Amino acid sequence: MSQFLQPTILLLREGTDTSQGRAQIVSNINAVQAVADVVKSTLGPRGMDKMIQTGPKVTISNDGATILNLLEVVHPAARVLVDIAKSQDDEVGDGTTSTTLLAAELLKEAKPFIEEGIHPQIVIQGYRKALELALEKLEGFSINIAKDSAQDKRDTLLKCAQTALNSKLLANTKHFFSELVVSAVEKLDPNILDRDLIGIKNVTGGSVTDSFLVDGVAFKKTFSYAGFEQQPKRFENPKICLLNLELELKSEKENAEIRIEKPEEYQSIVDAEWALIYEKLEIIVKAGAQIVLSKLPIGDLATQYFADRNIFCAGRVAQEDLLRVQKATGGQVQTTVNGLNPETFGTCGLFEEVQVGAERYNLFKNCPQSRTATIVLRGGAEQFIQEAERSLNDAIMIVRRCFKANKIVAGGGAIELEISRFLRHYARSVTGKTQYIVNSYAKALEVIPRTIAENAGLNSIEIMNKLRQKHAQGDEEGRWYGVDINGASGVCDTHSSFVWEPTLVKRNALCSATEAACAILSIDETVKNPKSDQDTKMKPKGQPGRPPMGMRR
Amino acid sequence: MSLAFDDYGRPYIILRDQGQKKRMKGLEAYKSNILAAKAVANTLQSSLGPKGMDKMLVSPDGDVSVTNDGATIVEKMEIQHPTAKLLVELSQSQDAEIGDGTTGVVVLAGKLLEQALTLLDKGIHPLKISDGFDRACDVAIKHLESIAEEIDIQANDHEALIQAACTALGSKVVSKRKRELGKIAVTAVLDVADLKRKDVNLDLIKIQTKTGGSVEDTRLISGILIDKDMSHPQMQKEVKDAKICLLTCPFEPPKPKTKHNINISSAEDYKKLYQQEQQYFVEMVKLVKDSGANIALCQWGFDDEANHLLLQNDLPAVRWVSGTDVELIAMATGARIIPRFQEITPEKLGKAGCIKEVQFGTSNERMLVIENCQCTKAVTILIRGGSQMIVDEAKRSIHDAICVIRNLIKDNRIVYGGGSAELACALQVLQYADEVSSVEQYAVRSFADALEGIPCCLADNCGLNPITSVAQAKSRQLTEKNPRIGIDCMELGTSDMKEQKIYETLSSKKQQIQLATQVVKMILKIDDVIAPDDY
Repeated sequence: MSQFLQPTILLLREGTDTSQGRAQIVSNINAVQAVADVVKSTLGPRGMDKMIQTGPKVTISNDGATILNLLEVVHPAARVLVDIAKSQDDEVGDGTTSTTLLAAELLKEAKPFIEEGIHPQIVIQGYRKALELALEKLEGFSINIAKDSAQDKRDTLLKCAQTALNSKLLANTKHFFSELVVSAVEKLDPNILDRDLIGIKNVTGGSVTDSFLVDGVAFKKTFSYAGFEQQPKRFENPKICLLNLELELKSEKENAEIRIEKPEEYQSIVDAEWALIYEKLEIIVKAGAQIVLSKLPIGDLATQYFADRNIFCAGRVAQEDLLRVQKATGGQVQTTVNGLNPETFGTCGLFEEVQVGAERYNLFKNCPQSRTATIVLRGGAEQFIQEAERSLNDAIMIVRRCFKANKIVAGGGAIELEISRFLRHYARSVTGKTQYIVNSYAKALEVIPRTIAENAGLNSIEIMNKLRQKHAQGDEEGRWYGVDINGASGVCDTHSSFVWEPTLVKRNALCSATEAACAILSIDETVKNPKSDQDTKMKPKGQPGRPPMGMRR
Repeated sequence: MSLAFDDYGRPYIILRDQGQKKRMKGLEAYKSNILAAKAVANTLQSSLGPKGMDKMLVSPDGDVSVTNDGATIVEKMEIQHPTAKLLVELSQSQDAEIGDGTTGVVVLAGKLLEQALTLLDKGIHPLKISDGFDRACDVAIKHLESIAEEIDIQANDHEALIQAACTALGSKVVSKRKRELGKIAVTAVLDVADLKRKDVNLDLIKIQTKTGGSVEDTRLISGILIDKDMSHPQMQKEVKDAKICLLTCPFEPPKPKTKHNINISSAEDYKKLYQQEQQYFVEMVKLVKDSGANIALCQWGFDDEANHLLLQNDLPAVRWVSGTDVELIAMATGARIIPRFQEITPEKLGKAGCIKEVQFGTSNERMLVIENCQCTKAVTILIRGGSQMIVDEAKRSIHDAICVIRNLIKDNRIVYGGGSAELACALQVLQYADEVSSVEQYAVRSFADALEGIPCCLADNCGLNPITSVAQAKSRQLTEKNPRIGIDCMELGTSDMKEQKIYETLSSKKQQIQLATQVVKMILKIDDVIAPDDY
């Protein structure tokens, strides 16, 4: 008999858990649903915030990418969602929640097909086809914004910024902040639009509407030595010298050692050291600098030396601040003062040190080549300002995107419904399984308006029916109907009520959501290696024959 | 916490350390957040008003502090709960921006949350509540601005400022001496204020504390007080027409910063070195003396030899003066800080009318007073009191008073205290509520109720019947159309706060309402709490 007993072939390390087949796909889909459920309630203008405590730090946020990131998802399939949210954040900066939701909804729609035995690849094919059509339509539907007048363009930008801010804590002051954001972005070099050149500084205290935009650079007063207060704190058209140089009395070389043979030489060594630092200071003063900023410390000696000569100085300026000063004032950072050339100095209209809340800030205003701006945010609590900063970040990204591409679509779920209607229509014209799948894709798109309505406490079924009816009329009029959270009827033309979003955001959201869904659908086997000894012990006791649990990496 | 279960009811592991995390959702989350925040507000509630009580707080190191100042209480309570922490920050940001009204802002936020809780129970969407609060807040602020009165801060020997300072001091432990302390605070602020730019640099007011004596002995020194004494007990204790030499280098032979070795090969060399050192000391003292200085203040220490030489040369000196003091003295006396002896010139010396060492009580502690400085822009308030706790509390109280005066100089509009401003706003908001047609109406009305909570609290703390006194004040405000009717906390027989001279700054009140609304809105927007499970 023994010849019939096959020896067990050990392919994998002991403790490795493998799972495969249809059950695996379904299980992955379930995990993704769970994660998407967490962020679901943050969508839309009536979306709520999440409070997440990680260690001693507490974050309150409405931003999908931030929340997913802080959740520390370890499930491999669910991590895909975190990744697409992040990529959406990096690429367009807004719409992270809708991307996540869309991906989860696509998977949810695919689940019955998988369970019924349709091959995942057919589903994937169908989704890809639907995406292709959706993108085509998206382009077709998007509206070109009149480029002719600068005023029109500005209006568009303002509206897009407002739409992005709608769901955030700042919703009530969105007009104020959209103005701020648009003005800040307009300051940037239109060809590059480098986001890093818009600084956001947080100062607790005051009301949010006390926030202001500095046409140039602002940074917190750096650590100062005695004598600093005697320096002038206000200059008009100053010459600004930017350094990456330590101005301190110190040993010039590390680990150097001097042997002094004769007592008389002692004084000369001391003098030599003083001479070194004084030489540097003198060069700076002679070159005519009025403000000296350095990335490295400026010592007490230098502080007092400058104070005596009516020069303002600040040491230990943060790298990004110095970079922005450089951009704003047109100066160049010097690493040595030898051959210091006044041409490398920057300038600005007005330099001032002012008190903001409990902090003192250095402001460089009216910069001539200003390609940078700083937003000083005020607010009641630390978390409040941090969330405000994230919201502004989203708005800035949107405005940046809009600045380049002039195409917009109407928000509030209108565009999703319109594409959905088109896909349903198209589905009827195809034969085969694809018909079902395209139909499902169309259905999945409706998750956006449905969730917005649900979060606003509206009757989502009723609203969806109203919206479908409007869109089904198929003419220009019904096209832009979306969820209205304020009105009594619950629906309105979101295009004419100025809920605008750049086409790019939607395009990216559709693409990455579909990609993510397809990626998860195509996984049919997961091999989980035992992580380490302690983890294996903690592992829940799985029994054979059961569908796999989530995997650790 | 687990987010999902498979077909067999076992949880998926989706998050890291999922078993150790706790999640609260929806109504449960709102309620838990509100309750936590309310707990903080309730603690502070009894500290509000002129008859508010103090709290005794013991730090982990066993330090005891007794205080009535909202920001200090919540800071020392070391609150852990994330939502409650928001209120702590609220109080601190009021402290940073305004400096006063830190208790009021937390109490108001607590009252608002209390109202929000009942609204939530009615099933109103939290964002509708926060929208309503927001609208009510705008109405209240507008009304506040309309009832605010401009006062002439200079009239009547700054009487109005003194009264405002008294209001701020009224609730503190030093309230018995509020008039005197108020005057001191007003004089101090006016001394350093730049009335043209309406700016006050509070860094120029130094508050020095010293236990011993009583609060009455607190005084204002138009100059600087430093907690140091002369380096040698035999030096003269008083220098008239002082010419100050401010040094940031030690009275020691200079040392190169580079690591160095001196190789002494013969006894002769050794002697030379010794002589050279002596020479340094003589030269240093000579340089200081030659410049015309008659006192030297040094940021660093002296060698004993130098100290002796200074005494011989009749040059009083102070050592180990802290960096901030050096800066303050430089500002006040017009001195330039001198980094090395070779650079001493007569122009760099600061001038002051008198520098003297003063001794307090029977203790051996001495302090240096620098008076009549050349560019007198710095003042010091020396606070005395029976115990460290009293002195500390007095310091915080005076700080509050100074902030109030500064705010009045910046913006001379005031509203009347005693809960009258809140009542007036509440009435206005209530009126507005009826015009709102949507669900927000309820929230707006609740906002008015929350505002009424403040005078209620005041009355309660004073031992009055809160309902009767608020109802009375309210009806009088309406019938007499007088927004100045408040709670007669001191039982002076009149409820008109103008007659009682209870002044509060408009900016402080405005900020209180705005900040409280903002934080409440934020708390109401949280529907999901994910935190490590402690249990």
